[in-house]
Amino acid sequence: MCGIIGYTGKKNAAPILVEGLKKLEYRGYDSFGIATADGAISVIKKEGRISNHAGNAGTLKGTRGIGHTRWATHGIPNDKNAHPHTDCTNRIALVHNGIIENYAELKRELIKRGHVFRSDTDTEAIVHLVEEEYAKQHDLPEAVRAAVSRLKGSYALLVLASDEETIVAARMASPLVLGIGDAETFIASDITPMLEYTERVIFLDDGDIAAVTRDDVSIYHNCERVERPVELIDWSVEDGKKGGFAHYMVKEIYEQPQVFYNTIRGTDDASLPDYYRMKDPITIVACGSSYHAGMVFKYLLEECCQVPARLDYASEFRYYPSPASGLVIGITQSGETADTLVALRLAKAHNCHTLAITNVLGSTVTRLADTTFYMRAGPEISVAATKSFIAQLAVLMQIINKFCGNNHSDTLLDAHTAIEEVLLMDISETVALCENARSIFYVGRGPFYPVALEGALKMKEISYIHAEGYAAGELKHGPFALLSDKTPVIALCMPGETYDVMISNIKEMKARGSPVIAIGRNGDTNLPEICDVFIPLPGANIFTQILTATVVLQLIAYHTAETLGRDIDRPRNLAKSVTVE
Amino acid sequence: MQAVILAAGEGKRVRPLTKNRPKAMIQVANRPIIEYVIDALVKNGIRDIIVVVGYRKELVTRYLNNLDIPVEVVVQNKQLGTGHALLAAEPKIQGNFIVLPGDNYIDPASIARIKDHSNAMLVKEHPSPSNFGVVMLSNGHVTQIIEKPAHAPSFLVSTGIYSLTKDFFSHIRENNLTDAISSLIASGVKIQGIPADDWQDAIYPWDLLKMNRRFLQNISPTHDGTISRHVSIHGAVQIGKGSTIGPNTVINGPVVIGNDCRIGPNCCIQPNTSIGSRVGVEPFTVMGDTIVMDDTTIGSHSRVFDSIMGERCKLADHLSISTITGIHDIECSPTRSEFGAILGDSVVSGPFLILKNTLVGNNVTIEGNTSFSSRQVQDNSLVI
Repeated sequence: MCGIIGYTGKKNAAPILVEGLKKLEYRGYDSFGIATADGAISVIKKEGRISNHAGNAGTLKGTRGIGHTRWATHGIPNDKNAHPHTDCTNRIALVHNGIIENYAELKRELIKRGHVFRSDTDTEAIVHLVEEEYAKQHDLPEAVRAAVSRLKGSYALLVLASDEETIVAARMASPLVLGIGDAETFIASDITPMLEYTERVIFLDDGDIAAVTRDDVSIYHNCERVERPVELIDWSVEDGKKGGFAHYMVKEIYEQPQVFYNTIRGTDDASLPDYYRMKDPITIVACGSSYHAGMVFKYLLEECCQVPARLDYASEFRYYPSPASGLVIGITQSGETADTLVALRLAKAHNCHTLAITNVLGSTVTRLADTTFYMRAGPEISVAATKSFIAQLAVLMQIINKFCGNNHSDTLLDAHTAIEEVLLMDISETVALCENARSIFYVGRGPFYPVALEGALKMKEISYIHAEGYAAGELKHGPFALLSDKTPVIALCMPGETYDVMISNIKEMKARGSPVIAIGRNGDTNLPEICDVFIPLPGANIFTQILTATVVLQLIAYHTAETLGRDIDRPRNLAKSVTVE
Repeated sequence: MQAVILAAGEGKRVRPLTKNRPKAMIQVANRPIIEYVIDALVKNGIRDIIVVVGYRKELVTRYLNNLDIPVEVVVQNKQLGTGHALLAAEPKIQGNFIVLPGDNYIDPASIARIKDHSNAMLVKEHPSPSNFGVVMLSNGHVTQIIEKPAHAPSFLVSTGIYSLTKDFFSHIRENNLTDAISSLIASGVKIQGIPADDWQDAIYPWDLLKMNRRFLQNISPTHDGTISRHVSIHGAVQIGKGSTIGPNTVINGPVVIGNDCRIGPNCCIQPNTSIGSRVGVEPFTVMGDTIVMDDTTIGSHSRVFDSIMGERCKLADHLSISTITGIHDIECSPTRSEFGAILGDSVVSGPFLILKNTLVGNNVTIEGNTSFSSRQVQDNSLVI
């Protein structure tokens, strides 16, 4: 899960690579580097973030080059482990996203043949392999093909040689996109760095090797020349810019009413294939926030449609016996989440019908799944998922709606107004309670349990305050020992069958001295009396209650992190799309 | 040439409409006022535009991001005054620039007249000058600006639109822009007073209806959406994508209707009406001289004239609004007005509500069978 980019064209490559890497930084940001070819190969690489100290990286000469922003897997983040890596002769440079599983064995073998390794990375083995093959036949695409045939694992890689016009790209289980410009060609982990220059892109498939020059692209698969379709992208450049907001995260939070509405409208006439009505077993696989969206779906599906569903972390799915039939739904914003892809492949191998819910056109999951539903969230840059989560809920709620014979269409078409109202609320009192806390508990019941989990995830990932989501009933079974006046509890307490027992739970927590922030329905007269802060939400039905509670928890996390001065868009140790297992 | 648009202030006198947005973001003829300002600048070839945001800055920024014309956004963290707001833009200013309020309409020709002067301001005669900075001129140069005088010595007022040089920033000592202009004059710099043609400011919420009539004069007819063939349309009428107009509805322009609205059947939309997006107007309702903002629904058999409805209102059937004259206390000063009703956002009402010359706050719920005349209902009230 690193970001890679390549450019060949008429302009100086280095400034384009530097700007491109800044856009890819969400994929990893512990070190970066670029290499350009201008007669010889020049490399600049450093520990740290390119957006903070690109330094003189943009001054390298040459009209073709490659770049990398890293999320460390093998070897700690430092200057020497940063990509690009070069061969022993300094004629070849290489960047890599993925993990080479057999690198130790390759490395021993290469050292025996006299190669000198200068880093602790798995990647460096590849560049020495390419070096050997290139010396044999002096044909770079062929050398890369021969080299990658030795690799086990996942890779998206770009190879640059000092004496060769062509940049060679290879892909296996890590994303890679080509952008076709006007006498210039881009290659990157995703489309965001090239939006400014072109809307015409080619998505590579696993096993593809592409030889790229400024005006030509040749793609090979199993040694044969293949054609891949050119697709048009409708994301605009503005979507990927911060445009006056302090952070991408707050920009994306404020885009949510529109995103929800667009996604509902966009899936309005999408008909559900017949298999949905067969009431076959349904399994949902996802990770992180997508898993929480999946859990909301599970509750709603069972409650509104009386259809039982199984929910698994994608990374755990394979350790259970796979369902023998039925529908497996994989939810992944990027479409590249390695665990979810593995789970869906397994489901397919077991003859299940697979449905993907993703935000990224042409992503790996869309090739893998039998059916794809797109959420229309636009590019999400902030590492913490906000609008993509809301868009996932939109797709999933629309599926429920279709299941129920379109009973909830009006509710869903109107729900964005409730989200907008939440954006106008003042939550400073809550933030004041949270900012000094060492731990915060989030509790809810029923579908508000996953909302609590998601709220806690947002809080911990951007504010670094320890936060845990619990099913409200579970708090008594242990975590109560941790309650004190230093541990605020955020309780989701909406009208409905969970209301009375939530009120009792809140009283129990108050009795242990915890400050309680209750999130409930506006007009509630009980809650303001028993809690320290009451946040009244609009929302007359379960759908809007889930949505508004989600958004208010996002705002609480954002403003708490903002008050604490955290690096909100790029929290420490994280990366947006997790493309390793 | 650069331009700085000041859009950070709330516009308290326009409450309840400015509870959730600054005045510059109020939609008139379905576009926020600031968009007309940006248009006028672009028509003069000024594309280097800086917008100072503050109050409800996220909403303003989100809106500006979606414009076709890229603008630069700077933030004034505390709303201390117009001069202080301009300081937020100082690091971006290279040379001469125009500064203008984001919540006043100005025509492009007037900007053309001022943009080539290095120190000038647009002035305009106004029937109630006491609400503005009154300008005293001598030989075409400004000698004095008197901010909101009780007894105005002249009808000539400042529009708040200036053409200035970078040196001006050294004169901003107080938070107010007018004080800095006075300091500039005192230092011996001559500021030309140039008359503006068409300048519109909405001091009070009901002034927006006049602005609405003015802007609707310029619309060009477009009929998207699904319009029943039994609809009768006269004059300039804009109907947005995805809107449905039911049979036997009569629309007499100028009228604008946004996207995804559901109107009719059997409605009558009279001239000078602006209807936002995703608005519902149920059957047998008649309306005119009115602004309805996004996501609001008006029940059947209603009568709505000389009124403004905020966003996300749910108004039940048989709403009846009539226009009368009354006195309202606005920011502690009694003000005469003539309008039907002005509703904030998220107002919910039951059937058979009667409103005359009444201001209803945001998040207000009113039970049915209620009648208000020349009243103000505060935000978040529940009226039973």
